[in-house]
Amino acid sequence: MMRLLCALVVFATLLAGCAHGPPAGSAPGPAAEAPVTAVASYARGGNLETLQVAAQQGEPAGTPEGAADEGAGEDEFDDGMMEDVPAAEQVTIADPWEPFNRAMFTFNDRLYFWVLKPVAEGYSAVVPEPARVSVGNFFSNLRSPVRFVNCLLQAHFIGAATELFRFMLNSTIGLAGLFDPAGGEEIGLLRQDEDFGQTLGSYGVGQGFYIVWPFLGPSSPRDTLGMIGDYFAYPISYLDPWYAWLAVRGYKAINDTSLQIGDYEAIKDAAIDPYISIRNAYIQYRQKKVEERGAIGRSEPDIPGAGTPARRLRP
Amino acid sequence: MKKTAKTMRIRSAIAVSLLALVLGAAPVQAATPLETVRAEVNKVLEVLRNKSLKEEVKREKLRALYGEMFDQEELSKWSLGRNWNKLSEAQRKEFLPLFQQVLEKTYGDRILAYSDERIVFDKEVPISGNRVEVQTRAVTKSKEIPMHYRVFRDKSGKWKCYDVVVENVSLVMNYRSQFNEILAKNDAEELLNILRKKVKDQKS
Repeated sequence: MMRLLCALVVFATLLAGCAHGPPAGSAPGPAAEAPVTAVASYARGGNLETLQVAAQQGEPAGTPEGAADEGAGEDEFDDGMMEDVPAAEQVTIADPWEPFNRAMFTFNDRLYFWVLKPVAEGYSAVVPEPARVSVGNFFSNLRSPVRFVNCLLQAHFIGAATELFRFMLNSTIGLAGLFDPAGGEEIGLLRQDEDFGQTLGSYGVGQGFYIVWPFLGPSSPRDTLGMIGDYFAYPISYLDPWYAWLAVRGYKAINDTSLQIGDYEAIKDAAIDPYISIRNAYIQYRQKKVEERGAIGRSEPDIPGAGTPARRLRP
Repeated sequence: MKKTAKTMRIRSAIAVSLLALVLGAAPVQAATPLETVRAEVNKVLEVLRNKSLKEEVKREKLRALYGEMFDQEELSKWSLGRNWNKLSEAQRKEFLPLFQQVLEKTYGDRILAYSDERIVFDKEVPISGNRVEVQTRAVTKSKEIPMHYRVFRDKSGKWKCYDVVVENVSLVMNYRSQFNEILAKNDAEELLNILRKKVKDQKS
């Protein structure tokens, strides 16, 4: 019920927002380069449903029709299997800063292989895994205020209550957050991964364009604003002096890395163009995060490309 | 949520047995998507857990299981999207095994590093027509990774995988974004060149 309500709110926001710009998730602005635009219009034209939605939104009539025309001449592929390709799944993002982003991507890549990974490997040789998991839990528990506030901002009250109970339980019986009894099998209160970027997304704010920040990695104007917002709700941010904050942040980065050594390497090895692969993974991941807002636990059915109006509106 | 998984399992068990009843001597095709994926993933786990096998042998076995589980042509079509039509018949013939080798190498490396993950099979969710998403989770000490297998019914009636969605990132959509980018600037022959080089680099 809550979910439906939220979906309706987002639906309304999106409709209202259309007067100002393209809906979230589509490649906005004149900055969109040719290939990205092509993909976006393909996504729009590839599915009748999205096409109609696009028309309703008062986009220039030529755009979707043009895209459809372009597709009409082609082939078995579209007529056959592609008709049930959920077009909503093909998410794209404009990348006007690509040269800068690629440079930052390389910087972060070197940072990982030359600094973060060796340090994390040395660290995990000394500190056993359960201890590192507990450190991770501890930081995660400290992030509760961020998740709580964002659940509230999304009118996701069950999520907010879940976070509140999790924080109370894990801070006490969980020994200051070192353990996660609330998320265990008996209690089953799952962490609600909500952040301000998702909150903005749930209000209908689009990603904008792709940014890769040094140290921080993939982002967008929306998610950058989100990071800044969350900064104020995260107790670690208030550490004084600044180098204490930096040291804690650095330690957390090393601890996090030690628990996922090999993940980045695998993604990179599998990719034909690692930069594009990670850009796409980032936007797929973030888009899904925004769409999933409102789901408690895993029991909710999650049907790609169907369901809430909010979901259908996003090309 | 444990309860849901359990009821789901019971429910799908009931569904399967009902199906078996209705169909009499149930043929292989009667397996639900979830049961099919579960059986295949379990076979993979069996190979990985078998400590007596050499890595070479494991890779060989995994390759056979991959062929059983995945439909390489369907997976390639989805990965190329509309670009599938830019490839000639001959180019497609070359693309399929090349792309398969890239996937086998990288994901082979990854799952051979498998340690003690437990796979939980949650549920199946219809996507459209004859396409279903089987939702599973890999549970480790420090985290849970949602892994969804998208399957379709192939011509012989068997459920075959054409996409894996790990932590909400669809594999075929991820490759599609890369192939789109490459094919926006180059022709299909250049794409094959890039893949040939990738396979060669992986071997060395």
